[in-house]
This record gives sequence, C-alpha cells and structure tokens, in this order.
Amino acid sequence: MKFLLTDFSLKRPWWILGFVVILTGILAAQFPRVTFDNDPENMLSKDEHVRMFHHRVKQKFNLYDFVIVGIVNEKHADGVFNVGTLGRIHDLTGQLLQLRRTEEGLLSTIRSAAQSGERLVLDLTPDSRWQRGLNVAFRHDPNGLFDSEGTSAIIGRELISPSVVDSIQQAEFGSLKLEYLMEQPPGTREEALAIRENAMSNPLYRGTLVSEDEKAICVYIPITEKTFSYNVAALVKALTHDWPQDDQVYITGLPVAEDTFGVEMLVQMATSAPLAGLAIFVLLLIFFRRLSLIIAPMIVAVVSVVCTMGLLIGLGFDVHIMSSMIAIFLMPIAVADSVHILSEFFDVYSRFETKRDAVRHVMGHLFTPMLYTSLTTIAGFASLGLTPIPPVRVFGLHVAFGVGLAWVLTMTLIPAYIMLFVSDRALSKVAPTHVMGIGESPVVRKGTLMGGLEWLGGVSYRYWRIVLAVTVLVMGLSVYGISKIRVNDNPVKWFTSSHPIRVADEVLNAHFGGTYTAYLTFEAARAEASTCAEKARAIGDAAKKRFGRVMPAATAEFLAVLESHKQLYANVTSSDLRKCFLSLVNAATEIDDRAFASWNALADEINYLEADGLTHERLLDAIGAVEAATDRDRKILITRLQEARRLVGLELLEYALKICDEFTALSFREFAFEMQAELTAPLFKQPVILRYVEALQQHLSANAVVGKSSSAVDALKKAAYELSYVAPPADAERDERNGYDKRNRDQFAVPDTVSAVAQVFTQLEGMKKKDSLFHLVTKDYQEANVWVQLKSGDNRDMEAVVRDVRTYMLSHPPPVELNVGWAGLTYLNVVWQDKMVKGMLSSLISSFIVVLVMMAVLFRSPVYGLLSMIPLSVTIALIYGLIGLVGKDYDMPVAVLSALTLGLSVDFSIHFLQRARELQKQTGSWQEASRQMFKEPAMAISRNAITISIGFTPLLLAPLVPYRTVGFFLATIMAVSWAATLFILPALITALERFLFRSMDKMPEEAQLK
Amino acid sequence: MRKMKSVSSPRGGEVRVGSPLSAVCLCVILMLTSFVMARDVALTAGEVVEKANQAAYYAAKDGLADVAMTITDASGNVRKREFRVLRFTMPNGKDQKFYVYFTSPADVRRMAYLVWKNVDTDDDRWLWLPALSLVKRIAPGDKRSSFVGSDFVYEDVSGRGINEDKHELIEQTEESYVLKSTPRNEAAVEFSYYSIVIDAKTFLPRKAEYYDKNGKLYRRVEAKKVDIIEGHPTVTESVASDLKSGSKTVNKFKNIKYDVGLTERIFSERFLRRPPREAAR
Repeated sequence: MKFLLTDFSLKRPWWILGFVVILTGILAAQFPRVTFDNDPENMLSKDEHVRMFHHRVKQKFNLYDFVIVGIVNEKHADGVFNVGTLGRIHDLTGQLLQLRRTEEGLLSTIRSAAQSGERLVLDLTPDSRWQRGLNVAFRHDPNGLFDSEGTSAIIGRELISPSVVDSIQQAEFGSLKLEYLMEQPPGTREEALAIRENAMSNPLYRGTLVSEDEKAICVYIPITEKTFSYNVAALVKALTHDWPQDDQVYITGLPVAEDTFGVEMLVQMATSAPLAGLAIFVLLLIFFRRLSLIIAPMIVAVVSVVCTMGLLIGLGFDVHIMSSMIAIFLMPIAVADSVHILSEFFDVYSRFETKRDAVRHVMGHLFTPMLYTSLTTIAGFASLGLTPIPPVRVFGLHVAFGVGLAWVLTMTLIPAYIMLFVSDRALSKVAPTHVMGIGESPVVRKGTLMGGLEWLGGVSYRYWRIVLAVTVLVMGLSVYGISKIRVNDNPVKWFTSSHPIRVADEVLNAHFGGTYTAYLTFEAARAEASTCAEKARAIGDAAKKRFGRVMPAATAEFLAVLESHKQLYANVTSSDLRKCFLSLVNAATEIDDRAFASWNALADEINYLEADGLTHERLLDAIGAVEAATDRDRKILITRLQEARRLVGLELLEYALKICDEFTALSFREFAFEMQAELTAPLFKQPVILRYVEALQQHLSANAVVGKSSSAVDALKKAAYELSYVAPPADAERDERNGYDKRNRDQFAVPDTVSAVAQVFTQLEGMKKKDSLFHLVTKDYQEANVWVQLKSGDNRDMEAVVRDVRTYMLSHPPPVELNVGWAGLTYLNVVWQDKMVKGMLSSLISSFIVVLVMMAVLFRSPVYGLLSMIPLSVTIALIYGLIGLVGKDYDMPVAVLSALTLGLSVDFSIHFLQRARELQKQTGSWQEASRQMFKEPAMAISRNAITISIGFTPLLLAPLVPYRTVGFFLATIMAVSWAATLFILPALITALERFLFRSMDKMPEEAQLK
Repeated sequence: MRKMKSVSSPRGGEVRVGSPLSAVCLCVILMLTSFVMARDVALTAGEVVEKANQAAYYAAKDGLADVAMTITDASGNVRKREFRVLRFTMPNGKDQKFYVYFTSPADVRRMAYLVWKNVDTDDDRWLWLPALSLVKRIAPGDKRSSFVGSDFVYEDVSGRGINEDKHELIEQTEESYVLKSTPRNEAAVEFSYYSIVIDAKTFLPRKAEYYDKNGKLYRRVEAKKVDIIEGHPTVTESVASDLKSGSKTVNKFKNIKYDVGLTERIFSERFLRRPPREAAR
C-alpha cells in the first residue's frame, strides 16, 4: 500500500514529471486573474452584524473614509496660519477638487487656485523600475483615481479643508457672515490671523481641522473606496513635493495605513518568498553539497506554492494580508519531508546496489512518519478553517492544501527525480563523506553538530530529573506569562516605527484631537415615550400656568376643548397625532377670535401705521378708528399710552405695539402650535436630550485617549452663540463690556425650547456646504452621531473608551432610554480582533484534539499520543508565556501562529518517538537506544529545525511588522520545539521507561511501525 | 429645428437675468409678464435673457403664494416645509423685496426671512427667529448657499446679475431658446457654466443645468408645471436636483395672487417681529 505511489513513480518517472508540469501549468495560468484585498474590514464576513451596522451608520450620516493630510509649520511665528502656508493649502484644495483624468490616463489639475486656467499634468508612476515592475505584475495603476464612469475617487462636496468648510462669524453692523472659513487665501498677516481666529473659535474645527497649538491644519479627503487611499496619498505627495521645508506634510488615517500596508504587502510577497526560497536553497546546498540533488526539494516547494496560489486565485479568492503569507509558510514546510528523504537516502545509499532499492528502503522507513507529520500540519492549518474570520479560513485551508500537495509531490516527484536526474556516479562520490562526517569544512561543522547532539542526549538521559524539574518550572513561568498577555492590535503599528505612516501618525496625534475615528450613535430605544393622556396633561398644566391667572374664562374653555380631544384621541397612533393637534389648533383659534379679536385688531392697525412723523394725536385717532376693538381695550391702551406722551415716530409706534403684545402674546392658537412643537419633537431637538449628549461629551473629554468629540450639539451651541451675539458698543466701559461678554458667553449653550433648537438647526441646514450638519444628526433628528477622535488606534484603547461610555451611561441614565451603537474603522478592528482571539483559541483546542487522536492512532497507544503532545504543549505555552512576559501585544499575526505552531512542532515528536521505539526494539535497551537516537534521528530533526528557521529569517528584514513577527516567532517555535523534543522526550521516556516499553512489548507485531 | 450661430450677449445693462434657478424658484410665481408671442424675428442672446428676466421676475407690481417644499434625499428621507412668500417690486422697476414666512413644521412656525434684492449693490437680508426673539442681519456674499437646507440656493431667490455671466444663444426652435451662460468670475461660483432652456412663448426658463469645474453636470433646476394665473404664465411646480448627492427639492405653489396691493412698509424689520396680515393670515 505505502509503496503504491513510490513504485509507480520509480517505474514511470516521466509520467509523474509530465503530470506535475501540466498541473502546474494549469494553475499558474490562473495568476493573471489575481485580485487583491488589503482591507482589514474583510477580516469580518460581509454579513457580520457590526460591519452591517457600520455601513448603515456610514450611509445614514453620509460618512466616508478619510485620507488625512496634516500640514505642520513649526518654524513660522504664526504657525501654519501664515499667508504662504494658507495659500498653499488653498491651492491644494482646489487641485484636489479639480482633478481630471487625461486622455492618456494621467492626471490633470489646476496649477493654483488663482491660475485655474492653467493645468498641471501629473504622472504618479514611481521612478524606480522595480516598483514599476511590481505595479505591472500586481496590476496596480498608480494613476487610478477614477471609477469606471470617470468619477473622481475624491468626494469633492465632502472635502474638509479651510477653503470649503462653513464658518459662522460676526461681520460689520452686527450682521452675521455665513461663508467658507477661507473663502479666499489671505493676502496679509491680519487676514491670515482672522482665519485663525474664526477657526479656533469654532468647536467643530478646533482640534479637528486646526490644531489647538495653531501649528497645524488637517485636510480630510473623503474617498469613495478605501482602496483609493494609497493613490490619493501619492497624489498629495506629488502636489506638495515642492512645498518649502517649513511646511511639513504628513499623511495618515486608517484607510491609508491599511491600503499602504496592502501595497507594501505585495512588495513583501515579491521579495520575502523568493528570499526564503534562496535561504533554504543555500542551506540545503551546505547540508548536501550537490546541486543536482537539492534542486528536487526546491522544485517541490515551488510547485506547491505555485499550485496553491493558482488554486486560490482560480477559486476566485482575493489575495489578502493573510494569504500573501502562504508562499512563505509553505516553502519551508514543503521542503521538510524532502530533506528527510534525502538525508536518509544519503545515509543508506551505500548499503544498496541501486537507487531504486535505496529509495524503496527510505520510503518504507519514512512513509508513515511523513504521512503523519503532513497530516498533523494539515490539521493545524485546516483548523484555521474553523475561525469566524474569512481571510484566515482561506489562508488555513489553502496552506493545508499546499502541505498535502507537497506530501504527494515528495512521494512521487522526489523518487521520479532521483531516477531521472541523479547519476549513480555522483552519488557514490557524495554519500561516503556525508556518512563518515569527515573531510571539508561543512562536514566538520556537521561533525560538531552531531557531537553536540550526542552530548545533549547524554544530558537528557542522565539528568532527566533536572530536565523535568526545569520543564515544570518553565511551564509555571509560562502560565504566569500567559495570564499577563495583552490582547491588542493597531494596523498603523503594522509599520515599523520609522515608516512615514507611523511618523505621521505620531506627529498628527500630538497636534490634533486624534486621527483615529469612532462613531458613537444614539437612537431612541422605544418609538413613542409618552401617551396621549400624558401629552394632554402636559398641555393642560402649561395652559393653566400661562393663561390661568390672566384669563380664567378662556382658559377654562380651552381646558374643556383639551379634555374632549383627550377622550377622542385616547388611543391614537403617532400618525393621528398631527390630526389631533390640527383640531386642537382650530379650536384654539376660535377661542382666540373671541378673546383677542379686539387686541389683534388694535395691534394690526398700529403695525401698519406709517412711522415717520407719527404723533400721539395721530396714533389716538387711528386707535379710535379700529372698529373691531372694544371700548374697554381701547381705553386700556389709551390710558397706558399716557406715559409715552413725549415719544414720536417709530419709538412711539413700538411703545404702543409693546402694550398690545402683552395681550396678543396670550394666543391659544400659538400656544397649541408651541405645544405641538414641544410634545412631538424628535429626540435630538429636545433640549434635555441634547444636554445629556453635551454632558457625555464633557465626560469623554476627560478620557486620555479621546482627543476630541464632535456632535450636532457643538454645532448648535456655536450657531446659537453667533446668532444671538451682541457686540458691545464701541465706547463701552470695561464693566459694561464684561456684561456683554458674559451675556454672549451664556448664549453658547443649548437653547431652552424645542422651537429655539429647531430654528437654530434650520440655519445650520442652510449653510454654504449643504448637509454638513447631517453627518452628526439624521435628517429627522431622531438619531445622532458623535464623532469621537482617538489619539490611539490600539484596540485596547478603543475598548477602554467603549467601557467608559457604558459606565457613564449606567451611572447617569439618559432622560429617555437610548440605544447606543459604535461604528468606525477603529471600532471594527476591535470586533474582528475579539473574534480572532476567540476563534484562534477554539481552533487551537480543536487541532490539539485532532492531533492527539492522530498520535494515539499512529502509535496505537494513547500514552504515546499524550507523550508526543508534550513538547509542543511546552513550546506553545513557553512562546505565549514569553509574549506575555515581554509585553508584546497579542495581535493578528501572533494569533494566527498559535494554531499552526501545533501542526509544525508535533513533527519532531513523531520522528523522535517513532525512531525511539524502533531503536529500543532493535537494541533492547533504552540506554543504548537513546544513544543511537542522538545520532542520525536527532541529526535529521535538527537539520529540519534549522531549515525551517532559516527559511523564515528573510521575514525579519521586512518593513512590515506582522511579517517580522511571524518570522521571529516561527524561528523561535522551531528552536523551542527542537529543544523540547530533544530534552523533554528522552527525559520523560527515561522516567517512564518501564511503563512505556512494557506496554509496547505487549503490542501486536503489525502495530509496531516498520 | 433651426440652429443659430452662437452669439454672445452684447448687452452690458444692469438688468438682472432671472437665472434658471430664479426662474423656477419661489419668487418666480409672483411675477407677471405680458404674454409674449413667439416672433419670427431672431432675437439676440441678450434680448432673450432680458425677456426671460422680465418673465421670471418682473410680473405684476406685487404678488404672493404659498409654497409647499419637499426635500427628498438619496435614501428617501423626506423633509417638508411650508411658507408664504410675498414679493414687491420697487418703483424703480428693478429692485425688489421679498418676505418669506414659515408656517410649518410647528417648530419653525413664524420664522421669517426678509430679502431686499438690490440690482446695483449687494442684497440685504434679515432673519427672524421667533423662539429666540431674535432679528439678525445676514451679511451679503453667500448667495450660493442652500435655502433652508433645500436644493435651491439663495441666488434662486434674489436672482443672478445679467453681467455676472456671458450668454450665448446655442439653439433656437419653435418651442424654446437654449442659452449657455459662462460666469465672468469663475472663482466666485462653483459651476463652470450652465445651460438654460427658455420657453419661446412665455419666456419662462424651463430648465437649467449646471456643470462643475470638471465639466460634469451636477445640478438641475426645472419648471415642471406652468399655469396661467390671472393672465400670467406662472410656474406652479419647480424642482431642483443635486445630481451629486442625489437630493431633490420640489416646490409646489398654491394660492397664487397678483396685485394684492402690498405696501413697501411691510418689508421691514418691524414686520419681521410682527408678521404682516398678508403673511400670517
């Protein structure tokens, strides 16, 4: 059975070769169809609740992903607010807004805002030939900034820049100016400072658009798709490359970080995988010193990688951050089995007459352990298929496929290759030196390696108690370390600390409220809070308070009407509420007509009088002529006007109208409308709710991570302040001036009534930049969005903010029950990370069980099964213990490593235990067997460990941290599991010698692996 | 269909052209003009613009109408506002005054805007917020900002100066004239040009389309319905569409009256605080 594949390959090597070539050809042909996906958002599946919520929020509030461009000037005395820098920002804004695509597929924009006729043609193709080559290979168009319909990736109407954001400011004659913050670039220092003044006094812009230290301005470029952000960043770099040194331009934001990561990841794929291949190749060359021999494992590796990637692309999966690492993972694993075969083949070749017999011997020997090591590796990777994270699933299953393929290739292609391309003559030269371990330098090194191994074996055998004691100690320490593990991630930190994105992130977060965005949304938990009866009671109470004392009769009439309405509309749904109020208004109008007709007629007549030249006499004449007025009211008015005998013209008219107002203001009709406004107000027009949000924001501002939060409340307060601002007279004394200041400051608040709130909001709706208010509140004012800027994108910081809000809302319950939701990329990262950690844990447990069962089956013994799991358990515990102790964050790459550690490091145990049992049987004594064990078997294990470790080392040179992490940890895993296997297993076997081998003696013959 | 050569307007006069916007906007309906019959004589672009201006803005001496405004955004959210507009033409026949009085929704009831359209200088504008007892003057200079959050802009109310654009007659048919208007000061506006279709019989602008700086159509204003009211062709339904955001505003005009005998006096700050009976009743 186990010779089936091998014999066929030995017999028909050409068939095998042909088949491999065809398969590789077919799958390699899939490569041009490759698509990439750099979006960490896809770590969550599309129908994931939080992701759908995130998109709903984005849609509801018209939110987009931003490329953040920070312009910092530390040199100029006025910081960034100098004529030159502001002018350049104004030009940059114009250039971004007027981007076009030329016929040739290049970009064109205006030279500057002043010379809009002249156009600038830009080509973002990188200078380096290598980069250009990669762009071609990965089909990345550096000038791609337009969708298929020619629409710019930059959403112009949503751009946030001083030149295109609304500003409310006081202008001459107490008027209000509503225009863009920087309508025109400043011509003088005074104008520049005026822009600063306006920006700094706007709570929506301070800390967001302009830094509080006045040294920096941020331009937020909204983009249609996150995947445009790398090119947008390149565009900004191209447009600002000739700016003076003093104006530092930084580009950041999660989309840029993520997209840049994606692009640089491609570079990594193109460099790390070949480098890993090269490292393995050189290593094999040192071990076997025969090119013709080691080409075979390299072919196995390359074919496995090509076929796996081809399959992935062919199946229509995107190449994601995870799957970009497939080649790097697969390469060392794929050569491992071949290394075993070759190693063994060399050792035994001299004992056989033909290659064929030697291969058969080796295969017979290694078939089962190789099958099981491959199966366990497959199990480790395939267990990733159980995680809830789609890219990880794709990665795990494809690597599993690749490992399986590598196994088949090792079983077939290696024998076929030996038959076809390795000459007997070449073998006869190489083999003896290898086995004897004498001669040239590499062999001498091998000799020392072997010597070391033998000494090691002695230590583990003789000092097994100490070895086991140390193991227990290490395990204890590891468990402590694991308890200290900090789960955290931040895509920006995937870059090394000197990377421009990390630098920009640091600089801009030092100046601004924070470049990490999270959206905190609120909506009513229940649709309708108060019943019709409650509303009627509220109206009744308010009516008694306002009218009860002055006009008891009319009030009684109104209350009667109200009572009848209450009964009529007792069970109304909210759609009938309007009807209910309409009917109430009509009834109120009738009451008004009876109660106030006279005063209304008087006021109306006076209002229409010509003010110029109005005298007391003329006024009295006019009053006398009002037919609808009653004598009583006329008398009241005339008597009251006695006090104003000396007034004339407009002053007199206003005086008379004020008297009328005292009566006409008591309108039941207007009262009914007012009540309708108050009692049917949407959530976020109600002052009490707005003040709650205000208080929550205030609380948040104390959180060290939260740099700033912005909401509709901030916009409302600013607008209310500017609308009701009264400038102190020019000649005002200090006290008077202070009085004005205080009065104005008091207006920087949520207005007291629903109508006042609504009327100020209406002004904000009608700004130059239409709908910018609706990023913060929905158009029906039922839902609100608080834009929270965080100074850190670390998931644990985001989680702390979420907790902070929850705690606050528990201790300060809102006036109305609110549903709280979080969205934003920073928050999404928290969610998928949480899933990742949990998913990885479950996949680790499941693969542990699967491997344990496999081992028990392989060794026909649960005890041996358990034994084989010990080195890898120690390895995993130690690795994660170290992560905890060192304080390295448990992030995405670390999480992925856990499952596959298992699959990789169990290999050593399999080889070790399997050979140990064989040798024990041959020699009849564990002492002797263990000495033998530390010759060739230990040698093969060591070679394998070194090959895989070295194979991953090119990753250490990567500029992207996750690759470095993977490289470092895989090398460490290899080293630790190698040590764990060679120390702990012999020590344990020594301790359990009698028990283990007695049980083996009882086993039936065929169960003993041969 | 007879194609005409492009003729740029020779007129440098001070008469304001009813921009396409203005034509369809709230004030449009208040204008009276004599029913101009299509003539066989070819008109210059300047003459067409002039007539359109008259048709759209300078109808009867005064007028009023109730406007039901419905703003519908791309996701179907609807906002409704109701207001009454009063219009008064000054004795010089050029300047005009507008009074906009809100009646619904309840929370913005009695809110009012006052606009003095000054043909030769900047417009004057005031705002009355009853819930805050506040009259505020608004500085000139933002005529292209949204009117109460709708897709109409303030310039739709006050009109756009004839001199601010160069007008070319692009096409003339039995039914309409098509003009292309390019701003003289491109930096002051967000469009690069607009095209306007003017009814050859009534000279009411029927459709205006605005193109952004990249030459892409982004805004459309249309007169959807025109009725003859008291003898005057009058827009009774107009629509402004923001093609970029997908938002759309429909204005429906009711209770249209011309020559109601408004006095200039009511277009003053005093009447902001105490609305005139023509607005409030």
